[in-house]
Amino acid sequence: MKPLTIIASALPEAPVSEAAAPQGNGLTEMLAGWLPESVPFWGLTLMASGLAFGVIMAFVSVVAMFSTWLERKVAGHIQIRLGPMRVGGWHGWAQAIADGVKLLIKEDIILASADRPLFKLAPALVLGTAISTFVVLPFAPGVMIADVHLGIFFVIAISSVTTIGVIMAGWGSNNKWSVYGAMREAAQVASYEIPLGLSLMPPVIYYGSFSLLEATQAQSGWFGMHWYILDPSVMLVSVPSFVLFFVATLAETKRAPFDLPESESELVAGFHTEYSGIRFSFFFMEEYAAMFVMSAIATVLWFGGWNFLGLAALEGIPVLYTTACMLVFIVKSMLLVFVMMWVRWTLPRLRIDQVMILGYKYLTPLCLIVVFAASLLEYLRFVLSN
Amino acid sequence: MEEPPQTTPPDQHRLREIELDVRTQDVEINMGPQHPATHGVLRVLLRADGEILVGAESHLGYLHRCAEKIGENVDYIQYMPYTDRYDYLSSMNNNLSYSLAVEKLLGVEVPKRGQYLRTILAELNRIASHLVAVGTYGIDIGAFTPFFYALREREFLLDLFEKICGARLTYSYIRPGGVMNDAPAGWLNKVAEFCDIFDQKWPEYWNLLVQNKIFIERTANVGVMPAQTAIDWGCTGPMLRGSGVDWDLRRDQPYLVYDQLDFKVIVGEGYRGTLGDCFDRNFVRMYEMLESIKMVRQCLAAIEEGEVSHPDVSLTIRPAPGEAYVGIENPRGELGHYVVSDGTKIAKRMRCRAPSFVNLSVVEHTLPGCMLADAAAIIGATDIVIGETDR
Amino acid sequence: MEAPKRDTAWGPMEVHFQAAREAHAALQEAGLEVELHQPNLPIFAEEGEAKRLAKKKADEPHEWRGDAFLLLKDRERLLEALSLIREQLAFQQIVDVTAVDFDAEDSVLWGVYQVLSLTKKARLTLKVHLPKDDCRVASAVSVYPGADWHERESGEMYGITYEGHPDPRNILLPDDWVGYPLRKDYEFPEEYHGISCV
Repeated sequence: MKPLTIIASALPEAPVSEAAAPQGNGLTEMLAGWLPESVPFWGLTLMASGLAFGVIMAFVSVVAMFSTWLERKVAGHIQIRLGPMRVGGWHGWAQAIADGVKLLIKEDIILASADRPLFKLAPALVLGTAISTFVVLPFAPGVMIADVHLGIFFVIAISSVTTIGVIMAGWGSNNKWSVYGAMREAAQVASYEIPLGLSLMPPVIYYGSFSLLEATQAQSGWFGMHWYILDPSVMLVSVPSFVLFFVATLAETKRAPFDLPESESELVAGFHTEYSGIRFSFFFMEEYAAMFVMSAIATVLWFGGWNFLGLAALEGIPVLYTTACMLVFIVKSMLLVFVMMWVRWTLPRLRIDQVMILGYKYLTPLCLIVVFAASLLEYLRFVLSN
Repeated sequence: MEEPPQTTPPDQHRLREIELDVRTQDVEINMGPQHPATHGVLRVLLRADGEILVGAESHLGYLHRCAEKIGENVDYIQYMPYTDRYDYLSSMNNNLSYSLAVEKLLGVEVPKRGQYLRTILAELNRIASHLVAVGTYGIDIGAFTPFFYALREREFLLDLFEKICGARLTYSYIRPGGVMNDAPAGWLNKVAEFCDIFDQKWPEYWNLLVQNKIFIERTANVGVMPAQTAIDWGCTGPMLRGSGVDWDLRRDQPYLVYDQLDFKVIVGEGYRGTLGDCFDRNFVRMYEMLESIKMVRQCLAAIEEGEVSHPDVSLTIRPAPGEAYVGIENPRGELGHYVVSDGTKIAKRMRCRAPSFVNLSVVEHTLPGCMLADAAAIIGATDIVIGETDR
Repeated sequence: MEAPKRDTAWGPMEVHFQAAREAHAALQEAGLEVELHQPNLPIFAEEGEAKRLAKKKADEPHEWRGDAFLLLKDRERLLEALSLIREQLAFQQIVDVTAVDFDAEDSVLWGVYQVLSLTKKARLTLKVHLPKDDCRVASAVSVYPGADWHERESGEMYGITYEGHPDPRNILLPDDWVGYPLRKDYEFPEEYHGISCV
């Protein structure tokens, strides 16, 4: 076992402790290669953090913009309309950019009666946690900010911090509808953490690791098609666990039919009712970032990560191979994001008690059964293979 | 928060308080006047214990436009456009109710073709109105897509209305003495075409929205109103029929040519839950659309050439003295006009008995005990149009 | 029960007249002083009727058309009459409660109650005269719960006090509105809270 390296340097806002063993990652090593020797390790770490933050932030912005555009197009076509068609020419591709600019230059209104520190901090916290989860995503061989050994654990842990931001936003807004949204979010996310975590256990048992990188590498067989969900020997648990994970994911990312924290027709806009301009866009970006991260986790654990049929043939050309892998990974993730959108524009919304009943009475027991089945299956596979 | 803390009334919640040994506070929260689920500027003051409502109180009047006072100050034809604006989703029916009341005082009957045209338009308008009702109900529940599907068919209907009277929302087409003009050439064929299209499209709404498991979960057993309550509170239309009361003015007080049409009065059956719940009201609306199509088809088969308006009714109407009440089956219930005339060209009283107004009055008694999300479901199932409740 | 015959394009007439006559008899039998007013013009206008009516002298008998109605003489006994109408005569549903200020010169308002029988499939109009200087009448809510909002509306519009109404607040008008807008002698306000009304 490698030592547990949740690498502090890769986390944008985490302090670097001097006492910690000075252990860098690829990014710091790369920087060390470029910079003179005199640059101290903490300098390298800071620079690496800044670089990682910049890259992720840019990536998240692009993902969020593309997702908003995609969401509007998907919604449009599902609803027999076209969606944005004008800005930028081809199918309104620049609509998201225009929206982004609009949100940036809009007046940032803070209610006189709002709890200002909470109100201001909430969007930053929400977006910050969403960005942090990108740290562990293995986009392609070598394209990964940190190979955290407990990657899956890390994602679940960090992504649920979002809830605190949402509660801060709801409470800080000094609006009863917002408080309702925040409380719903708290109740919902706290309940769905359990099925979410449990439904991740079958792949973890299969790979024998919490690392997302190892999970991806484990699926590289069969010319790149040895995906967990396609492995016939475990299909009995891989498919149900994915379905359970997907449902829990919808709840975790506040997507319909679980979009109760911001349910438009009941709570106006829920916890972000009082937000405008850039602060609102932070919540918006968080939603799409969270969708992407969750889809990416599903891609890594069930759909082979960057692996795809025949992709290994390109291994000789590193640049092309890395690009192709990244493309495969992002396309797979976006496909899952698309399914989430599809669900949103098809289904009505559940009521809070029904959400709770679904979570506690159906998903959690089912997850336990699947985890048990996965353990049993793994044991059988172990026995049979020896 | 900003309001002073409200202690729970001891008589209502004593048991719960003893059980929890905690003195809880109810949240008083304003739903509206600007709220997506109130379909306009209705304000419902909700009192909630967490997610569960313990009280509700409606506040109306944000859209009060003094229609009745205007009716006492303008002459009969001038009042026509104001009727369009009560329930702007079913203007044809509003026109019809008003026209019939005035004709009752005038003592003139519209020629047969006019009556058939009126019936066709009233039924088409009912479909258009129910499409919005069912579609927006989807939005209240959280399903956005069916609304656009509903608007697709409504668009066809509005085009038909536009062809016949030039307006898409406020028609003023049916007027005292007849209708504005005869249907343009080929218009009736277009209507027949619509009937065929609608028959094909109807299952889409049924499968996409009404048969959706989540939709059923959200509406069945929610906002149950027993038949006796519905009758006592004066509910009419789908609210009354959804509670299982077999009452439809088109059959029970036949006006126009409804006595010659063969149609079924759709009554809620508790198909997915308790009789009289929100699901049943939508069930009634869904099937009423099909019945309307049936009626339109029969009218198309029976309509003959001829005059559409009574020749004696001019622009200045001086009805005989007297008073007349005519209630007709609007998409939302019984829309009645109570007109008092003294023989001059201006009415002495122009009372509009609005179905939404009455149907809404029972909602605040249905809400306590439901969840906050059910408030949207119940108000949506009541299908109110604020233009009509406030007039 | 069969639906009543469609007498006219605006619906059945005879069944309502019949119901009014029956109700008149029943109310009188119960000792209530009730007048039955029936229209004396034919249902359908005759040739030249409008001209004849226009030239009519003031002292000629009143000719009118429309619905028959019952006029209850003693407004104190309204609840008695309404419960009789509901219980004995099976008019289960209240359709409308409203009032009419026929003329500014008149000394009375008319309180108008429209009731509907789902079993007889008939309507009935009950009227009661309310003196303008003492504009009060018992609330019908205890007999017909559906009268609730209608009474609030005509209460604020005509200044009628419905005695015993559970919640006699304004419904369409603001709480601090001055005057009764639907009265014929109502004077429009110049402004409301600084908002010009002219």
